[in-house]
Amino acid sequence: MEEYAREPCPWRIVDDCGGAFTMGAIGGGIFQAIKGFRNSPVGVNHRLRGSLTAIKTRAPQLGGSFAVWGGLFSMIDCSMVRMRGKEGPWNSITSGALTGAILAARNGPVAMVGSAAMGGILLALIEGAGILLTRFASTQFPNGPQLSEDPSQLQPPPFSNYQQYQ
Amino acid sequence: MPGVLPRTLPASLGRGCLGRWLLATRGWALLGAGAVPCSCPRWRLRPPLLLRAARQSFGTQAGGLKAAKPGGDNKDVSVHRALNEETLVSAAQKVKEAGRDFTYFIVVLVGIGVTGGLFYVIFKELFSSSSPNKIYGDALEKCRSHPEIISVFGDSIKGYGEATRRGRRQHVSHIEYIKDGLKHMRLKFYIEGTESGKQGTVHVEVKENLETGRFEVRYIFVDVETYPRRTIVIEDNR
Repeated sequence: MEEYAREPCPWRIVDDCGGAFTMGAIGGGIFQAIKGFRNSPVGVNHRLRGSLTAIKTRAPQLGGSFAVWGGLFSMIDCSMVRMRGKEGPWNSITSGALTGAILAARNGPVAMVGSAAMGGILLALIEGAGILLTRFASTQFPNGPQLSEDPSQLQPPPFSNYQQYQ
Repeated sequence: MPGVLPRTLPASLGRGCLGRWLLATRGWALLGAGAVPCSCPRWRLRPPLLLRAARQSFGTQAGGLKAAKPGGDNKDVSVHRALNEETLVSAAQKVKEAGRDFTYFIVVLVGIGVTGGLFYVIFKELFSSSSPNKIYGDALEKCRSHPEIISVFGDSIKGYGEATRRGRRQHVSHIEYIKDGLKHMRLKFYIEGTESGKQGTVHVEVKENLETGRFEVRYIFVDVETYPRRTIVIEDNR
């Protein structure tokens, strides 16, 4: 624990924002490259120029919206961790729902509820996938020695042993 | 735009804006896409909103107009219908379409299966009383209300688990094993108080109770990371 003495939380926001921007920009770049390639006149030069233009125009937009989503989600997540005092999957799901709701705020309350449901469900799926992955990865490694004895730290209190013999 | 605007336009068109006439008679939802001329000065700021609204309701508008004018536009409607009807579908095309539909169906099934599996995992983790997360929550509550813990760590105590790559610390490390035919589970998580530098490791063991089907706590104790290592026992039911 000593080497990671820094608290993850406020710095995690910047991490998540940047990560989301990168994902959106790269994914958007690939998608727009193909789209621009296909929607250009015949001829490789035209097509390449068309796909480059499409990437330059659209990929930063998609990266920007992803970054907004990621940054807002991480901010709400860190705030919830600070308020509740414990970290767990409920924080992520609620943060996802709140992010969806806030980002749809311009479209009225009904759209906010729908967007919140979508955000919450998406985060629940991501959390479920994360849990599955950690369980799967932990079963890969062979278990340590089965500790069927109680740990030694429990020896000191004498009263419990007396209670057992009554 | 054919088939979108009505065929006959009133004489008032010559006097006013097309946009204003359409708004007055049919309401804003029935503006054709891009039909509002921007020469009307009062609508200069409105067109984007109205265009967006018009595009949203464009799908219903065509059907609405067809239904609203049965008498006059019968010929136009029937021409559209004849053009839309499919030509003869040969058997080979039917087989190809069936094969494509079948592949799509399989893809949808796989997607539903994966999504359902993920939902099941997350529900079991969050709502089942035998999930590590629930046990961690209960143990943390017991830690928070224990006077010795409060005296060592301070008032507000936060708990967290193992750190993953991204820095999120949601995963609580746990081991399940079977002893004497009953399921036992051991958990380990960390707590930290308001006073900086005071960290503690909480060890919890629970045992399954066959009658109620729930997990009962066997022991909870906290290792405080001070120089003379201190162990605070919160509960011991062995």
